[in-house]
Amino acid sequence: MAEDEESVLYVMTHGTESPERCATPFFLAASAAAMDLETGIYFTMNGPQLLKKGTAESIGPKGENGQKLAFFIEQALDCGVSLYVCQPSLDLNDLEASDLIDGVKMIGGAAFNDMAMEASAVVTF
Amino acid sequence: MSETMQTLDVKGAACPIPVVKTAKAMKTMSAGEALEIFATDPGVEPDMKAWTKQTGNELVSIDQQTGGVFRVVVRKS
Repeated sequence: MAEDEESVLYVMTHGTESPERCATPFFLAASAAAMDLETGIYFTMNGPQLLKKGTAESIGPKGENGQKLAFFIEQALDCGVSLYVCQPSLDLNDLEASDLIDGVKMIGGAAFNDMAMEASAVVTF
Repeated sequence: MSETMQTLDVKGAACPIPVVKTAKAMKTMSAGEALEIFATDPGVEPDMKAWTKQTGNELVSIDQQTGGVFRVVVRKS
């Protein structure tokens, strides 16, 4: 990572109710990771819905046109972006950790706040 | 310039693909080697400036060619 460990933390609060909002955090995060910034996306409120297995193949920011969400998630993961959720957000969406795609890291509120304090920038969607 | 350089063609690809693919290509290169990128994304100039500023690699040149194609040369530091 960058010499002084600069980082960007994205926060995604939207889920499957607004597919047009689903891809942007992933492609901005992919750009940040490509800039050698340590990059994560924290999914809360409706956000964890996007990480449910199978969902990313079924929705995309432009509906039936254009790339599916899976393309953007894969691109972000390939660039080294970390994906985070916390248990209460999973409960809110009746999800369990095993329902999510591989590679999602579980954190809690304290860890999130620490990451937000440490990050060079926090961007919320 | 007689130096040979690798070429990356990302014409037609939108943000963030030019930056993502540039970063990936540069990872396989050695310091001092240059990469030539052809892109049509209208944001490629500010993006490449930001990318090189952040990563410490050198932005050698950006030229706009005909047909909205940008030729960008970056050198790995």
